[in-house]
Amino acid sequence: MAAFRARLKEYEDILNEDVIDMKRFRKLCFNGCPFESGYRSICWKKQRELYRHFVEDLIVKPGTDAAEGAQVDDHIDKDCRRLCPDLFFFQRATDYPCKELINADSRVETLRKRVEQCLITSRRRASEEYMVLKDGQEAHWEVVERILFIYAKLNPGQEYAEADSFFCFTNLMGEIRDIFIKTLDLDSHCGSLMAKLMSMLKEKDEALWHRIEELGLKPQYFAFRWITLLLSQEFPLPDVLRIWDSLFAYEDRFHFLICICCAMLMLLRMEIIQGDFPTSMKLLQNFNNTKLDLQTVLSKAVEF
Amino acid sequence: MAAGPYNYSYIFKYIIIGDMGVGKSCLLHQFTEKKFMADCPHTIGVEFGTRIIEVSGQKIKLQIWDTAGQERFRAVTRSYYRGAAGALMVYDITRRSTYNHLSSWLTDARNLTNPNTVIFLIGNKSDLEAQRDVTYEEAKQFADENECSAKTGDNVEDAFLDTAKKIYQNIQDGSLDLNAAESGVQHKPATPRNPLNTDQTPSKEGCAC
Repeated sequence: MAAFRARLKEYEDILNEDVIDMKRFRKLCFNGCPFESGYRSICWKKQRELYRHFVEDLIVKPGTDAAEGAQVDDHIDKDCRRLCPDLFFFQRATDYPCKELINADSRVETLRKRVEQCLITSRRRASEEYMVLKDGQEAHWEVVERILFIYAKLNPGQEYAEADSFFCFTNLMGEIRDIFIKTLDLDSHCGSLMAKLMSMLKEKDEALWHRIEELGLKPQYFAFRWITLLLSQEFPLPDVLRIWDSLFAYEDRFHFLICICCAMLMLLRMEIIQGDFPTSMKLLQNFNNTKLDLQTVLSKAVEF
Repeated sequence: MAAGPYNYSYIFKYIIIGDMGVGKSCLLHQFTEKKFMADCPHTIGVEFGTRIIEVSGQKIKLQIWDTAGQERFRAVTRSYYRGAAGALMVYDITRRSTYNHLSSWLTDARNLTNPNTVIFLIGNKSDLEAQRDVTYEEAKQFADENECSAKTGDNVEDAFLDTAKKIYQNIQDGSLDLNAAESGVQHKPATPRNPLNTDQTPSKEGCAC
């Protein structure tokens, strides 16, 4: 507890400086941001004012290109509605709805309504499947939708930004956007990261690497999702936030991501060596079920 | 999962393809777990499942690859088609667009699998009769199909079993050559095996799944 208090104090000191020592700050964040006193949100916060302008320009006063964007909007809408359906959070009304939209006069529709109106044809609107909120309220998934919508508008070449992610942070997207360009899926970024994972494994644990090759457990079968979604489906949400603290703080985040993936494989060493193809495949595709302690995974990853 | 020395004579590789949100993962889950998964996350890349079934007294292990339906994953999912013995092509009977896209899925399936791959059409969500957007008769004209519901489990077994029967029949009448590369079928002598090595896949390229 004393150590924890000391860490909180360290955050306080750094953040109270007139000029934040980013190097020291990153190092601190790498070890996990405390939820207390809202430090995590301070650490993750970026350029709020700019974002507000985007909301203003792109949603409140949209241009005339409504039709061409309709498909992207629909895609984002579909994804957001299915965002983490097991967490009630996303279906619940937010305490912080976007004031510009909610208080705006009734001519401004929410994105939800706009997409619904664009796509009435042949599309069943499954309001029975989703909780319907009163006007003037919006669910958390709608907040995510807005972020992704703005991202899509600002990056027209990017067909679509992945749903169950909070990758909205522009600086992070700047680094991972290649992952989300489908023509690059295999040869470019994600492919090279998967190759990097396998060569790291070969170096750290050749016997295990050999077994994985022998069974035909190709990295596309499991590591594709690990990498594209930055492990968000392999761990429970609190653990994901902890992993992302490190990824956001670490300068070479993809290197560390690969270290984590490699550690995950090595911690399942015995199961993979003794198991057959179907058993190992299911194990790797459902890492969440292994209940491996995140701290064990991270400590191993840091060793690399 | 497969504890103990299961006896089965064949392994068939299946893929499930079709538009996003038609219920591919729910079908797989219903078939392997006999449960409806209401809150199903998007499939990223592929998901894998297995089940042992029986056709004409022969035990057959199905290894099923459920692919992501999102257009943007097509480049990735295409790499899973190779060496499939059966392809379940799924659309949603309440969304015509998913039916209209079948021809493009069929083209992919035809181009990327072998000529003997059994392609089976499935109209999912038959429990939502009131919202039906594609009639059974219309789909029947396009191809022999099977309507089912991953929610209620109705006809789901049949979809997977009928495909297996057809593949088995192709083996019996010799039109499917088991020795051909990427036939999607592996023959296994039905003898008790060392439990540690049950259904070990040979490392031969193309049959690894």
